[in-house]
Amino acid sequence: MTVSAARIAGALGLLVAIAAIDGAARAAPDVPSAAEGIYASAPPRLLQIRTLVADAGRQTSIGSGFLVSADGLAITNYHVVSQVALEPKTYRLEYAAADGSHGEVTLLGVDLPNDLAIVRLDKHDAPFFAFDKAAMDGSIPKGERLYSMGNPLDLGFTIIEGTYNGLAAHSYNDRIHFTGALNPGMSGGPTVTADGLVVGINVATRRGGQLISFLVPARFAADLLQRVREHEVGQDLHAEIARQLAAWRSGLYKSFGDDGFRAAAMGPYQAPETVSPWFDCWAQTNASATPKPRASVNTTTCSSDTSLFVAADLNTGTIQVNHSYVKSIDLNQFQFATLLTQLSQPRLVGGGPFRKWYTPERCNEDFVSTALAADHPPLRVIWCAQAYREFEGLYDVALIAVTQDHGSEALVSRMSLQAVGYDDAIALGKRFLEAVKAGK
Amino acid sequence: MIWIEILSRHRDIAARFRIPGPEARIGRGYDNDVILDDPYVAAQHLRVFRDETGQLVAEDLGSANGMFLDGDKSRLARVVIDGKQPIRIGQTFLRVRETGHAVERERVATPERPMVPILLALVLGLTIVIVEELDVWLGQTAEPRISLYLTPLLGVGLIVLVWVGGWALLCRILSGRSHFLRNLLIALAGVLAFSLYNEFGRFAGFAWTWPLAASYEYVALWSILAGVCFFHLRQVGQRRLVLKGVVVATLLATAIAVQTLQRSEAFSDSGRQFTARRLLPPEFRLVPLRDENAFFGEIENLKAKLDADRRQARPDEAGR
Repeated sequence: MTVSAARIAGALGLLVAIAAIDGAARAAPDVPSAAEGIYASAPPRLLQIRTLVADAGRQTSIGSGFLVSADGLAITNYHVVSQVALEPKTYRLEYAAADGSHGEVTLLGVDLPNDLAIVRLDKHDAPFFAFDKAAMDGSIPKGERLYSMGNPLDLGFTIIEGTYNGLAAHSYNDRIHFTGALNPGMSGGPTVTADGLVVGINVATRRGGQLISFLVPARFAADLLQRVREHEVGQDLHAEIARQLAAWRSGLYKSFGDDGFRAAAMGPYQAPETVSPWFDCWAQTNASATPKPRASVNTTTCSSDTSLFVAADLNTGTIQVNHSYVKSIDLNQFQFATLLTQLSQPRLVGGGPFRKWYTPERCNEDFVSTALAADHPPLRVIWCAQAYREFEGLYDVALIAVTQDHGSEALVSRMSLQAVGYDDAIALGKRFLEAVKAGK
Repeated sequence: MIWIEILSRHRDIAARFRIPGPEARIGRGYDNDVILDDPYVAAQHLRVFRDETGQLVAEDLGSANGMFLDGDKSRLARVVIDGKQPIRIGQTFLRVRETGHAVERERVATPERPMVPILLALVLGLTIVIVEELDVWLGQTAEPRISLYLTPLLGVGLIVLVWVGGWALLCRILSGRSHFLRNLLIALAGVLAFSLYNEFGRFAGFAWTWPLAASYEYVALWSILAGVCFFHLRQVGQRRLVLKGVVVATLLATAIAVQTLQRSEAFSDSGRQFTARRLLPPEFRLVPLRDENAFFGEIENLKAKLDADRRQARPDEAGR
């Protein structure tokens, strides 16, 4: 899933050019009237949320939002208001409603894992959107027609039809798979049933897909609304963001650790593969490469679908487990070692610009034996870590192990943990190394 | 009979005059035996004659700028000639010799070129070629290409040639002889030393898990370069060796300091270490395997460093 950082509109990915594909559904005679009806009642409660540079008074990004209470509380995406949440002195928020009214917006609370935010408008006794009961308990049938609203690319308020396709598979955070053309600028807008009840909040599209869009389920918005009303969301937003990140990552890595590893055979080795369902795994081989490779490299890569939007230039929280079984075809031992060198570079790449978000990397490298038993090959292990400048107790870690039992075949295992607690990383690292075995 | 020799600034003989009589007059005027076109020399500057004891003596004829012994600052009216010490008048150096001046024995000409240095140069060159080519060969993991082998050779060859040519030219200008072979030997020894160090650094990084040798490779490079320069300078002239040593050492220290600074700045910009991690065949491991718990113990210690980095990166956190 891609939560893009497009300057216009915060997040909705890269489908800018294909916004026109919505034709087929128009044929049914009753559908336009349903959409018309929904849209006719939307204007006073449908909003465009603008982030402005406080000094210049000009917008730097736009998104959508919608009122959820009579006293002026509105829901939008966290990524629409992230600049204000992180740097409240530099940026401020404004809204423009579909009925033409506009005014100041105050940010009240955020929910980072679900990419939601609650803001307060100086608007009272306006109509608002209610949440759909069936959506709250997840009993909407697949294929139900939904209507998504927002202000794509600042072109004016728009209503778009699409279908409900259940929850997206392989996703750590629940996301509704919505088949409809969401565009940048619609982030934070509501997606409603034909009765005008909110099912989810527009959040992202998949790059390279067609009409594949994602919504945050309405129940998270209802929860956040509840928490804000009960003042359970901290006032210091920066501290709140750090707290939510810490809570989210400890849940993520606990779940990752609890699911554990299973042994996957790679040549004569056994490599630890993750069992968690929210990983996407792919295999790669150089067998058919031209010119003919001089060593065969078979790689499996599992990446977690857990990327979390923190700021326009910082997405973090991805876990990657990667194994390459390398066997020499006609390389001598030195050449083979050179190839392993290339495959085992730490490449500790964070999800954002280094100087803004990270401390310098610190590495440790050694020959390690995990056990005296014969089925544990000696390993050359590299550990590199960097801390997050803004968030205490959060680190990026890369752990690479290269088996050292043969001169002409080896397993290069790599585990990259973004936004992990240091102790979690060490515990996972130990388990990971201990699970690298030789012999079937 | 007296011989007057006019010397160049480097005390090489520029001209030699045979004076048949017992006395020689030197100056800018046309009534002299030896005429010097030096504007700082008087029209009648110097008279060389035999005194009552039979010794050759040079006498200042009352010039404005006087007469000096080479390398000496005290003005002399009269100098006893020893045939070795040059005399300076104006900006001209000259030497006076008698017919009986003893010369060195002739050198015995070797029939061919000296074999030992040539052989040595060949051996050094060949070793460098072997090391370089081995390096290319052992680093090759893709399709073998001839050009990969030729490029470093051509590069190193050209650099050595230009470098040695430059020093030989300098030697030729300043000391009269180019000493091409010696300069070549010095340069080749330097190149070989560096490529051997390079291999050592790589080996140490793997076998002993000692990456410092590789990450401070530039220190070795500059030191070797400084050593090479010093020996070249020694070829140029044996004099003022201490001064040359001090100059070279100062440049060396400056170069290392500048590069260290550059590195630390680049490190704080990118946050990436310069260490090149290299693996060798497993048999090259010379240290025992670490126990897993000991290894992770060290990794736990890294956390303190990371947190210290973080505090350093955000000194303003308290005021947030």
